[in-house]
Amino acid sequence: MDAATQDMLKNLFETKLNSAMRLYLETCTHCGACVEACHVYNSMPEMRYSSVGRSEIIRKVFLKYFKLQGKIAPWLGETIELDDVTMDRFYDAAYSCTGCRRCMMYCPFGIDTQMIMGIAKLLLIGADKEPKLLTMLADMSIAKGEDAEASKAGFEEAIANIEPEVEALWKTAPGKKTIPLNVEGADILYVALSPKHSIIPAAAILNAADASWTLSSFEAVNFGAFMGDSKRMMAIAQRIIAEAERLKVKTVAIVECGTAYRVMKQQTGKHPFEVVAFVELIAKFLREGKIHTTKNIAEKLTYHDPCQVARNGGVYEDPRYVISQIASDFKEMTPNREMNWCCGGGGGLVAMGELEFRMKSSRVKADQVKASGAGRICTICENCQTQLTDLSEHYELGVQVDSLANLVAHALIQE
Amino acid sequence: MNALFSLAASAVQHLTGAKLGSFWSKAALILSESADATSGATVAADATSGATAAAVAVSPFLNAIEYTIVVPLLYFSVLFCIVGIIWRLYKILGAPPAPYSLKIYPSSKSPGLGALKDTFAMPQLRRHKPLFWVFLVIFHISLIMLLLGHLDILPSISIVPESSRHMVGAGLVGVGVTVPLLYFLFRRFRTPVRELSVPADYLLLILILFLFLFGDLMSWGNSWTPNGFVMTKQDFSLYFQGLAQFTFADPRAVLPGSHYHFLVIHVLLADLFFIVLPFSKILHAFLSYPINLLRRK
Ligand code: HEM
Ligand code: SF4
Ligand code: SF4
Repeated sequence: MDAATQDMLKNLFETKLNSAMRLYLETCTHCGACVEACHVYNSMPEMRYSSVGRSEIIRKVFLKYFKLQGKIAPWLGETIELDDVTMDRFYDAAYSCTGCRRCMMYCPFGIDTQMIMGIAKLLLIGADKEPKLLTMLADMSIAKGEDAEASKAGFEEAIANIEPEVEALWKTAPGKKTIPLNVEGADILYVALSPKHSIIPAAAILNAADASWTLSSFEAVNFGAFMGDSKRMMAIAQRIIAEAERLKVKTVAIVECGTAYRVMKQQTGKHPFEVVAFVELIAKFLREGKIHTTKNIAEKLTYHDPCQVARNGGVYEDPRYVISQIASDFKEMTPNREMNWCCGGGGGLVAMGELEFRMKSSRVKADQVKASGAGRICTICENCQTQLTDLSEHYELGVQVDSLANLVAHALIQE
Repeated sequence: MNALFSLAASAVQHLTGAKLGSFWSKAALILSESADATSGATVAADATSGATAAAVAVSPFLNAIEYTIVVPLLYFSVLFCIVGIIWRLYKILGAPPAPYSLKIYPSSKSPGLGALKDTFAMPQLRRHKPLFWVFLVIFHISLIMLLLGHLDILPSISIVPESSRHMVGAGLVGVGVTVPLLYFLFRRFRTPVRELSVPADYLLLILILFLFLFGDLMSWGNSWTPNGFVMTKQDFSLYFQGLAQFTFADPRAVLPGSHYHFLVIHVLLADLFFIVLPFSKILHAFLSYPINLLRRK
């Protein structure tokens, strides 16, 4: 690595040094309490897969270039130089971390490893070593935002094609659109993903509640967030924000996608609309008696708290309430809520493929699901759902994995 | 050499309760006093052995070093420490804030109180590392007592009666910091903490350990024998008073006896500690609250 590249990376590093990041980099006492927090370390016990193991690589680079101690006595903190080998270690650390932030529940200082990994991810982009698939997907999302007209016709056609499947779940009241598009003044903007299974059950539920809603022309998933690229992240989120503002909606309901929810709710500033996870809407509809369900799931059902919605988003009780309205034999996993194990698919890993690593690194999750004794598991994040399905297959757990919205859509009572 | 002699002398005297080491301790006493008034040559003439004569030549030098350690260097290191801490806090807390909330849920009703609880009760460690937590709590409470104990030496502050020869806790506070420290050191040598420790971690613990051990020696020394340690809290109070009033007086005048050299080593380690502190991870003491606030707010 030449000096110019090093300088450029150093400058990139510096852009990340806000006060929170400095606290995270300068407070760690190497106490080791977080080591056992990480599902990756628990499944593959190597220090580089622990929370502090990951952040130490960044910290040692920080020490070398930004701290007096690293300049006077580098051996004291075993500083690391920015070079190609270090960049490979950055990759290894950052793209084996799902950003679940479970380690924050163990650290006496609450150090956020996901945030520290943001430095590694940014520097990898700078060194042109980031996972190219994510860049491509992120740039496609951004391009779509810049030229929404180009994809409009195709999108409308695809939506029209799936309307019969929505009707099969719930007969839309006469005179109403099955899947409304571009409705100015609608109450709710529902932001889905590209696969149709992210639209059909939600549309049925919204129609059953007779809600005033409209479907977003954009998909919620934010590949910029996975890459740790705040510029791309904002550009992708901004498409939806602009749409919501243009349509003057009151509520933006995010599909079952943890990262999309957290990005929109917490990481993109204040909005003139409310941001909710779709499950929050379902719970509201149920409480207000706008929809009715039967408890048509008799088999033992458990629930997986997606990290970005639960620990990092605060949605704990609504999904449990919704489940109580559709299932008769609910069993919590242990641990659950803020202590739940990450599924092992976050941080872009599912999008990147990485099947072998995902399976190896999530053995604890598989054990946990197995220990629950449930034959079915539901969750409210597309990523988690994919990962849990893969886990069930790989570890031969024989559990059926579902989206909660889908279960609700199939339990709707049409009076 | 001289330092070694006097160290050995006072150690021997200490352990045997005087007699055996009296020759060497007397020699050391003469040596140290020589620097104040008499020239090396006159003392050499009075001296009984050649070895002492050779040592006497360095005694003014030794005395000057000891004085430097216990007075000017102490002022310097404390000042350095305070300025260093303020500088680092300014660099860290003065940087622009994070662009978005970093909290985790469930959220606390009062983030400030929640962070205070995290800072002082360390519930995460109590839950996941109970033994470590017990030692940490003992350690940090003892640290506070230790700070109070040192302040108490000042005549104007009386936590234990002025007439007492003991510091706060009469040596127990010393055990309270030393035993947990041994545990901290012990666990650093064990997997997995070993793999994530760097030289600075060990060196800091070792520095503090020796700092404490010399402190322990002085405070326990008062209980070991009827005569105890030659110097007591009352003697130290004169030294502290001099420091507090910036008299720049040589404490040797009010702290007689060969045990003085233990105090000097204790203060030397304290000087080092103060100088190292702003660069070290001890800064967590000041950062713990603001960093815990990030998780809560
Ligand atoms: C509000 C004040 C403080 C809080 C919340 C706090 C918290 C902690 C925590 C959570 C640890 C465990 C991490 C570890 O093992 O390193 C720790 C360790 C430690 N603390 Fe503190 N601390 C405080 C003040 C201090 C002060 C004033 C000192 C000054 C000497 C100190 C010295 C140490 C040492 C030496 C360790 C052990 C380090 C090791 O294991 O290597 N702490 N403290
Ligand atoms: S955020 Fe999750 S995956 Fe990353 S280090 Fe922490 S526990 Fe491990
Ligand atoms: S628990 Fe926190 S302070 Fe301890 S090693 Fe992990 S990140 Fe560092």
